[in-house]
Amino acid sequence: MKLVISISYIIFSLLFLFAQSSWARVKLVALPEREATVVRLDNPMAILLEEERHLTLQKGINQVDFSWKGVEIIPDSVRLTVLEPIDSVTVLNVSYPPNEQALIWQIVSQNGQQVKVRISYLLKQIDRLITYKAIVNKEETVLDLTAFVVLRNFSGENLPLTRFQLDYGETLASKLANGETKRISFFTANQLPIKKYFTFDAAQLPWDPKQISDNVSIPVHYELDNTPENGLGKQVLWDGKVRLYAEDGHGNHLFLGEDYAQFTPIGQPLKLMIGDSRDVVITQRKISENRVNERRDKQRTQVILYDLEAAMQVDMENFKDQPAWVRLKEPMPEEWEMKTSSHPYKREHNQEIIFDITVPAKEKVIVTYDYVQRNMRP
Amino acid sequence: MFKSIMIFIFFSLGSVGAYAKIDLVTLPIRDQVQLTIYNPADLTLVREQRTLTLKPGINRLELSWAETLIDPTSVYLEAPQHKGQVNLLEVSYLPHVKESAIWVIESQVSGEVLVEISFFTSGITWNAFYMATLSTDEQSLHLQNEVRINNQSGEDYLNAKTRVIVGKIHLLDEIAQLAKQNPPYGMPIEPFPFTDGNGTLTPRLEEEIKEKSVRSIFTDSVGVAPKQIIKEGLSEYFIYTIEGTESIPNGWGKRLPALDKIDIPVQVLYRYDEQRYGTETQQLLFFKNDQEHHLGETPLPDGQVIVYRQLAENQHLSYVGQLQTQYIPVGQEVEFNLGTAKPVKVEPILMDYKTENYLFDYQGQISGFDRIQEWQLKLTNNRDIPVEIEIFRQIEHPYWNVTYAPDLAVHYEKIDLDTIKYRLTLPPHTKEYLLPYTLTLFEGERQSKKTLIKGMAQ
Repeated sequence: MKLVISISYIIFSLLFLFAQSSWARVKLVALPEREATVVRLDNPMAILLEEERHLTLQKGINQVDFSWKGVEIIPDSVRLTVLEPIDSVTVLNVSYPPNEQALIWQIVSQNGQQVKVRISYLLKQIDRLITYKAIVNKEETVLDLTAFVVLRNFSGENLPLTRFQLDYGETLASKLANGETKRISFFTANQLPIKKYFTFDAAQLPWDPKQISDNVSIPVHYELDNTPENGLGKQVLWDGKVRLYAEDGHGNHLFLGEDYAQFTPIGQPLKLMIGDSRDVVITQRKISENRVNERRDKQRTQVILYDLEAAMQVDMENFKDQPAWVRLKEPMPEEWEMKTSSHPYKREHNQEIIFDITVPAKEKVIVTYDYVQRNMRP
Repeated sequence: MFKSIMIFIFFSLGSVGAYAKIDLVTLPIRDQVQLTIYNPADLTLVREQRTLTLKPGINRLELSWAETLIDPTSVYLEAPQHKGQVNLLEVSYLPHVKESAIWVIESQVSGEVLVEISFFTSGITWNAFYMATLSTDEQSLHLQNEVRINNQSGEDYLNAKTRVIVGKIHLLDEIAQLAKQNPPYGMPIEPFPFTDGNGTLTPRLEEEIKEKSVRSIFTDSVGVAPKQIIKEGLSEYFIYTIEGTESIPNGWGKRLPALDKIDIPVQVLYRYDEQRYGTETQQLLFFKNDQEHHLGETPLPDGQVIVYRQLAENQHLSYVGQLQTQYIPVGQEVEFNLGTAKPVKVEPILMDYKTENYLFDYQGQISGFDRIQEWQLKLTNNRDIPVEIEIFRQIEHPYWNVTYAPDLAVHYEKIDLDTIKYRLTLPPHTKEYLLPYTLTLFEGERQSKKTLIKGMAQ
């Protein structure tokens, strides 16, 4: 497992003399030390490694060998950029020798000089994960967030002191040996305001909890906005596993649960599911259904069109000592019209409405709504 | 003793690639440990306190967890007395080294520092167990609840502060799987296939921890009052903290009393509901988790319940049944289903059937009619006490009407679109009580005429 770069010089005159003959590649004695290695982690689809090296070139055509035995480099991704002096050298071509993990650049230099180059390539079997640890206060109003990057290097390449660059913020300097996994904390944001929600999706959850043997668990999540007012908003929050803890008021923490945070751009809300509540109990019933507004065919023998009136009732009981903010998602038919509803609702899409209901501590709220399903055909 | 979780501190030479262990500074033992045990998830949060001797600047520390079921990705370090001054910068899992990690700790303080290390382990479980004893007259209940803890984690936890958690936690991965995963965060994922790509993911380990039967031991102390369990709520969870500390060696289980309440007023109810229970009547026991019922301090965790009935003579017991109870929040009604009750029977019998009120369209075709069913519910109570009974009837038709003789004392209650319920008390030794009713089902055109009919379902 080694990365070797070697340079062979072909004196211009020799090339001239033996232009027709094939010449052997000569591996050079000097092994250029690499400098300023940066591993770019901004695109989770592939890891880009950029390294800078000084090459001593002769006047004329130089052959620079770059080999990576045992290292998971994607050969087509390797690039060479001359940083300085610019315009004094030209890369003629790149060739790939058979059965070798290597390539050869032919570089023409106008004179004997030292040039600074950057070699970039994509590496396989190395990646990064983002994980978060969040601690909420006992009242569940604010949250402290720490983000970690987990580097997993099985690429075959040892990375001595290297800068790791996420898409934002400062680079992290660390060493990462081949076969090593490393977790590095890279930002902390404290006292971020959060709001807690309960979500009852009537299309997913059982309507009558008494009819089933286990408790119906209502999913609970926190929401925080990735905005500067909330102490964030400087950067996108990458997707990753979040482990949530709560202060227990005795100097210890309780593990609340974990969730996979979705990629959250600046200004967007981050939703973190913590678990299920069994202290909010919701019972839903269809109270009645009536056919109305029947229309008949020309012979008036058959009903060809009718409307269906339905009356719904949702009992929401909160057994907690704190009020619960419940989002009630109700499925709707394709063509419908609301007649009356006990609480305001918003139309999420054609076939779903949402009631946002605050159920006070130890109380029960009953939501009712009547709608007409239009233009049914028998 | 603590064979498994070991910590070493050493200073690094700062050499490239490898961390040379040259100077073993100290081997701290743990000062204090706290276990927070979840259920039903196989998850325990362990927080232990250790005193580390740190030097200002960068300190390297090795943590190893061989032969345990610890999830290495869950390990964190905090210095509660030196917040912001002692920081865990990096955790590194070196190549070819299993079950061990190197921590890089930056310290602004010198000398002994109390740190808290937290991590998840699998293999420690708890469950709730209830013993319920009904009084002879079935008017009251003696309810006992125990918390049982089993340790199969591979680690001895001695003198541990122990808490168990009531609540349903959301987990992405099983801790037992994470504990087996090597490397701890798995292998890199190939987001898209490259031509010569051979990136394979570590296969998921399917092996489950085999459940072993464990012996149960009661509190170590003999002749001392049972330990108190302190209960409090936090977020969607309820915490039971066991007084003092507990020693739970690997392979051992422990049972602790959590609740013991007598004279809880209860209501026995029999229920007939073909949709839920088939044609057998069920015996149910109701009480509320509130102060009136000498409860209501905490939710009741889900667990197994064994129900006995106290007999009049010599404190003998008779076994009533067993069940799995749901989690009961404070203030909610508890419903124990004690199973089939043979002495109380409900038999719905269709006595007569006819069709009536035909409607015809202009072509002389039938466009609507009524189906009339005469039902009789035949009820029997072979017990020597009066019984309260609930009968659910599913009509399975949205357009219906129920009528009954005007002198009948029992009325139905509409539950939803197509369900009705009768509730009545049957005297002791009732051989046969008949509850008749007429069910009219409206078909076709008669469905839209039904609003004209009195007593109609809406």
